[in-house]
Amino acid sequence: MAQKVLNILIASVGGQGGLTLSRVIAAAAVAEGLRVRTGETLGMAQRFGSVMSFVRVGEEVTSPLFGHGEADVFIGMELIEALRRIPYVRKGGVAVVALTLKPPVSSSLGIAPRPSKEELVKELRRALPSIRFVDAVEEAKKIGNYRAANMVLLGYVNGLVGMLKDESVEAGISAILRPKAVETSIRAYYRGKELAKE
Amino acid sequence: MGKIGRVDVLRAPPGTRAALLGNEAIARGVIESGISVVTGYPGTPSSEVIMTLHAYRAHELGIYVEWAVNERVAFEIAYGASIGGARSMVTMKAPGANVAADPIVSAAYGGVEGGLVIYIADDPGPHTTQTEQDTRWFARMAGLPMISPVDPDEARKFVRAAIELSEALKLPVILRSTTRVSHTVGDVVFGEAVEPVRYRGFKKDVKRFVRAGMSWNRERHAWLLGQLRKAEELAVEKGLVSSEGSGDYCVVCEGVACGHLREALKSLGESVADRVKVARLGMVHPIPREWVRRELGGCRKVLVLEELSPYLEISLKAVLHSTDTEVMGMEEGLIPSVGELSPAHVAAALNSVLGRSGGSVEAEAQDKAPPRPPPLCPGCPHRNSFIALRFGLAKAGYSPTKVPVFGDIGCYALGVSPPLEAIWTEHSMGASISMAAGLKIGGFEGPVVAVIGDSTFYHAGLQSLIEAVHKRVDLLVMILDNDIIAMTGHQSTPAWARTETGREARPVRIEEVVKAIGVEHVYVVDPYDIDKAIEVVKEAVKKPGVKVVIMKHPCALWEARVKGVKAVYRVVPEKCTSCMACVRVTGCPALYVAEDGKVRIMEEDCTGCGLCARYCPYDAIIRVERG
Ligand SMILES: Cc1ncc(C[n+]2csc(CCOP(=O)(O)OP(=O)(O)O)c2C)c(N)n1
Ligand code: SF4
Ligand code: SF4
Repeated sequence: MAQKVLNILIASVGGQGGLTLSRVIAAAAVAEGLRVRTGETLGMAQRFGSVMSFVRVGEEVTSPLFGHGEADVFIGMELIEALRRIPYVRKGGVAVVALTLKPPVSSSLGIAPRPSKEELVKELRRALPSIRFVDAVEEAKKIGNYRAANMVLLGYVNGLVGMLKDESVEAGISAILRPKAVETSIRAYYRGKELAKE
Repeated sequence: MGKIGRVDVLRAPPGTRAALLGNEAIARGVIESGISVVTGYPGTPSSEVIMTLHAYRAHELGIYVEWAVNERVAFEIAYGASIGGARSMVTMKAPGANVAADPIVSAAYGGVEGGLVIYIADDPGPHTTQTEQDTRWFARMAGLPMISPVDPDEARKFVRAAIELSEALKLPVILRSTTRVSHTVGDVVFGEAVEPVRYRGFKKDVKRFVRAGMSWNRERHAWLLGQLRKAEELAVEKGLVSSEGSGDYCVVCEGVACGHLREALKSLGESVADRVKVARLGMVHPIPREWVRRELGGCRKVLVLEELSPYLEISLKAVLHSTDTEVMGMEEGLIPSVGELSPAHVAAALNSVLGRSGGSVEAEAQDKAPPRPPPLCPGCPHRNSFIALRFGLAKAGYSPTKVPVFGDIGCYALGVSPPLEAIWTEHSMGASISMAAGLKIGGFEGPVVAVIGDSTFYHAGLQSLIEAVHKRVDLLVMILDNDIIAMTGHQSTPAWARTETGREARPVRIEEVVKAIGVEHVYVVDPYDIDKAIEVVKEAVKKPGVKVVIMKHPCALWEARVKGVKAVYRVVPEKCTSCMACVRVTGCPALYVAEDGKVRIMEEDCTGCGLCARYCPYDAIIRVERG
């Protein structure tokens, strides 16, 4: 790893697997002999609310948090949540966002804006021209486990940044995911890695 | 390396390294301290200690680990175990300490034999708690030692430290954490496991355990003060307080603030770090006064980094009042007194004390995204109950928006958001019924409704109901019985015939309890049968006295997890007229408006409850079996 500490921000909607993703990265980092701190907002996780995980990995890490403009790596599992949290990315940071849109109830009711996918993509590009988008759910569905979209994103990001070794990620996946989901998750991870090269 | 598989948090050998949540690390700490009785009541961010012990089957290691009906009962069980020599632990979130306050305060006089750890999780932010309560004051009020770890690995070690302190002092010890310790994943290295210590004998000693003798109480009070002085010495002996570096600028930290501080100092470079002395207070009550005078008495300035309230700052100011040392922190506005502390706050405070520029905290950037308050899940039976209430009241001739609905604590409080906007209050566990009764007693003329979940009813609603029945208050009580404690991550209730550990239990049925209290009009209805539920509300609200409607249907999220989803609903776009009735009535988060302006359903989120279809005037929503 180039830096001493890598700051990763994961933005998701409760139930999408953002917390699992953060746990996999943490387990992978420990498998690699690194230290880790995450900051989670658990408790409402399965409830379609807005979820954000801080993950910090490095040789010496003691704080679980960081501020706006400090994320080296940004993983967005949903477009609106990505837009909400994009100010966390630092200049030159790497961001990958799934092309998934889950409008909140307030949008459907017409009491909050109802941005389209295209508008959100445009808005995110304006905030960070280098941002990458991937249809992670579609890719995960092809593998036969739509819940593994988070692993597609992890593969994609790791393909770009090279923050963790493949065998550490595999170790992290088998440490955290249900045995039944391990195989498809690992495949989803490598599929994401492939996509990053395209 | 390579495939390590799942680490068994309870059985993995000493030396195992794993990435654990603070609460998982505390569960490991239970194994490393010989604790044999663990109980508690769920509450974020404390619940995963017991959930982890359940998940890894601690009961098979000879540990009693079960949820209790509320925090005070949980504490009393742990206390009873520990005066018999067993090592025990009780877990709760900060408001739980208020519920358990009475027995905890008395326990400081009686003391313990087996070590007793009271795990209380505070929530600066707050992220999921009704207030930003600082439980450190509670330790001082009760006169109990309190220790506070900085990270998951220390949380694990502090369980052991708490047991040792507790047995050395014969006092319960509070292990206090915050969200950023309990819900942080950190690297943890496992220690040696210790056999659970169970009953070792209970001697009759009335001076100690009977609080009815006032001279005994004075004696025990004096004893307690003596133990606290010993605690100050033990804190130093056991390394629960420590310092490093030297310089006349000093920083005192506690909990996660120590983690922020370490990195802030590193980023300021050696030239600054070398001028700063850092003191860590792992024990926050009692404050080891000798040690503080020795370590900090020579400092010119002491910056105190803490969250929730200036507890440490005020304590240190008192200890150091006769020195030239200037103690500063929250009271001087150097760190925030509302919300949680960020690394940026720490850096800014440090710079300001050191007289350096930079490190100001910028205001959060404007949030351009539409807000996403947590909604009730797709298919949540509480949604149906609220709709039944609204339409039932209307059918009975009342204007639903004019009937005060007293809510309570649980998932159903999420019904406060549009479109349901179903509750007027959400106060504290069990308060719905008593506050609703209070409004009537105070002179409110129209109908009043209290809405309370099953677990909250068992926890504290029961006594409120007894009061309302006894005083013959006119009140409609709706008990939303989803057969689980949903909000805190799905724990058992007293209605279960088997607990999480497989223990056979005697189900305590709400309907029987309510009838036994003397409620004359008791209705049980499945809110998924929405039309019947509406009729029940309509009928019940007209009856005199306390009437109870039990809305009985399992939590949809739990059911989907356990049984899977067999059918979902789908919108036929040709039939949808964009009237939005389905969205406006239900507010189900699986519904959304597509770019053609018509409604669609996110089928992976739909649980097939059919409620939206029931309210579509054009039959545009159809059921599809899942292949
Ligand atoms: C004194 C106290 N203890 C615990 C909690 C945490 N808590 C919030 S909601 C809840 C339980 C809700 O269960 P239930 O009433 O069955 O409603 P559900 O969430 O299942 O709808 C708990 C334990 C709290 N807020 N206050
Ligand atoms: S977890 Fe269960 S009770 Fe809570 S909102 Fe979801 S379905 Fe309703
Ligand atoms: S059937 Fe309708 S209301 Fe029920 S979960 Fe599915 S989309 Fe939501």
